Amino acid sequence: MSVRLGRRDALLTLASSFAALAGAGCARGGKDGEASLWFAYGGTNREVLLSLVDRFNAEQTTYRIKAIYQGDYFEALAKLRTAIAARAAPALTHVVGEVVPYLAQAGTLLPVDEANHVTGDIVPALGQTGCFVRGGERPIVCAPFNRSTPIAYYNRAIFDELGLHPPTTWKELESVARAATVRANDGTVTRHGFACPIDWWFWVALVGQAGGTVVENDGAPSLGGEAGVRALEFWQRLVHEERTMKPPPGRDYNAWQATNTDFLAGRVAMIWTSTAFLKYLETNAKFPVGAAPLPGDVRKSVPTGGTMFVIPAASAERERPAAHAFLQWMMLPRQANEWATRTGYLPVSQKGLAELEASGYYDAHPNDRVALDQLKDAFAWPWAPSLFRIQREAVQPRLEEAVLARRDARATLDEARRAAREP
Amino acid sequence: MKPKRPLDPYLFLAPTALVLGLFFFWPLALVFKNSFYRWDMLTPPEWVGTANYAQILASGELWGTIGRTLSYSVVVVVVSLALGLGLALALDRPGKLYAFVRGAVFSAYVVSWVAVALLWMWILDADGGLLSTLCRAMGITPKNWLGDPAVALYTLAAVSVWKITGYSMVIFLAGLQDIPRSLHEAAALDGAGPFSRFLHVTWPMLRPSASFVGTTSLILSFQAFDVVRVMTQGGPVKSTTVFVYAIYEHVFVNLRVGRASAMTVAFFVLLLGLTALQLGSWRLGKTGARRA
Repeated sequence: MSVRLGRRDALLTLASSFAALAGAGCARGGKDGEASLWFAYGGTNREVLLSLVDRFNAEQTTYRIKAIYQGDYFEALAKLRTAIAARAAPALTHVVGEVVPYLAQAGTLLPVDEANHVTGDIVPALGQTGCFVRGGERPIVCAPFNRSTPIAYYNRAIFDELGLHPPTTWKELESVARAATVRANDGTVTRHGFACPIDWWFWVALVGQAGGTVVENDGAPSLGGEAGVRALEFWQRLVHEERTMKPPPGRDYNAWQATNTDFLAGRVAMIWTSTAFLKYLETNAKFPVGAAPLPGDVRKSVPTGGTMFVIPAASAERERPAAHAFLQWMMLPRQANEWATRTGYLPVSQKGLAELEASGYYDAHPNDRVALDQLKDAFAWPWAPSLFRIQREAVQPRLEEAVLARRDARATLDEARRAAREP
Repeated sequence: MKPKRPLDPYLFLAPTALVLGLFFFWPLALVFKNSFYRWDMLTPPEWVGTANYAQILASGELWGTIGRTLSYSVVVVVVSLALGLGLALALDRPGKLYAFVRGAVFSAYVVSWVAVALLWMWILDADGGLLSTLCRAMGITPKNWLGDPAVALYTLAAVSVWKITGYSMVIFLAGLQDIPRSLHEAAALDGAGPFSRFLHVTWPMLRPSASFVGTTSLILSFQAFDVVRVMTQGGPVKSTTVFVYAIYEHVFVNLRVGRASAMTVAFFVLLLGLTALQLGSWRLGKTGARRA
């Protein structure tokens, strides 16, 4: 039997299809017990996270986590802000530490741990406690997920061949970089001794090592004062005068990836990057990879980095129990350790860390120990609401300008300070 | 002509007016309004008057961005137009080989910007890229194509030219095929050589095509975003931060909707000015042609 559809019927069908589609799009959240997790990793770290999510979903039937990739940290953050504004945020996501105070001040985060079930066992240096400027008593709005410190990676084959040791001071860094740099007859550099993304995180490490603090305890952006200038001039000297440091092309994580690629290709003998890339570099290098703590100047100092789990207030209420359950599960020693040992990030559970120590894991994997040992030199971030803007808008673009275009370090930081004080 | 029912014309116009109003005029009005506020999308907006405009003017950001965008656009429009015309003249011949080359040149235009950007990032890699390897083989010191602030913008312009030249070529080919053969034959009989025939027959007849290609390439070059986002993220040292990317950075990186809106309004005014100039010169050309 054939049915003849009139134009009106066709239009009605089309309109109802659109309405159904729009309805589906506007519906908040999934089924009961389901929650979406927005994440921001590629490569190995993505695979590890997805395998953990699969295990969580397989181990119990009450809750189900849907993990959705959202680009790198900053792309994911841009999407999260838009989703919060549209009241369509995921039940769980992770954001860089520097943005937590801004999101918290805007009232967009829910407490993650009212009963202290989630963060009771975490390694103190990696959690929220002590980070907020004028902290006082405030609810725990984030839980540590992938926490890291910058560390130095070196090509053990080159270092052994040249009889070099990982530098422990800035002076040693200069001489090691000089010794490992190879130049062609025409003076062009064919292998740089050192490379490091021109990025806020590494500059903050240098400022700390030079004895300064980027944001003071009251939240004022001092940008390290004289220490900030010395840190920037150190980079300028290595890039332009010594010509032993390669500033990678690209910005943000493109520059980080370029640094890794140069290291793996043997174009650079030593790099500074996150401990997050430990397993990636060890697996993909055709030479033995060594890891070492960052050198010091007047003192040793490293910032912590990575991201924290947060539960946005603009998420669907019915998704939250699943998000809480997953968060609690991820903080347990087994998961925390699996995440750390398969990626290179720091283990966030104290019990888990004790288990790793007792099992002799760190004796067998000395590179994994470097970031952990460096925690004694880490400082608690002064989480001021403007910290993220200071980083992204006032400092980061100017660092690039000072190093690549060789702008006067003091004038650059004076300008950055003025920009950082802008409302 | 007077309609039978006075409402009919408005009813016919309504769907288009609705779409235009909803997706063009309403967002434009919102942008204009937001340009007078400080807003990060999460906290309530705060009225700041003309502070956003003052800031982008005083910091030199507006002029810098206009300069970079215009430099990029001029290179893209002029070079793609010239290359498209040259290729169309060279390939406007029958035969399978010419058809294949025409297809090959045009194929770049249908590939996505992201794929093109990734391909060229590989070619332009300062250390192991194809271009740098080729330069070294020829004894030329290669440039840091994407890492040198003095070169990066023109490198991106060259990539854009590579992508859109096929489009210019196709439009010019259509224009060439519309020129009656009799005109060329008459000019040849009058003793005009190939260059004179191009100057006095082909080019005047191709002017509408050139005008169309110029306008569409200009619009396209002003909208540059993907290629910047993938290849340089606006760097090094802001040297590739063109207008759309600057707006994106303000909203999504610096969390400043107000400043991004002020930049958008400035961008709108700039495009409006350029369009008025172009329309004016087109009308002037038409009047001149009628008088002649």
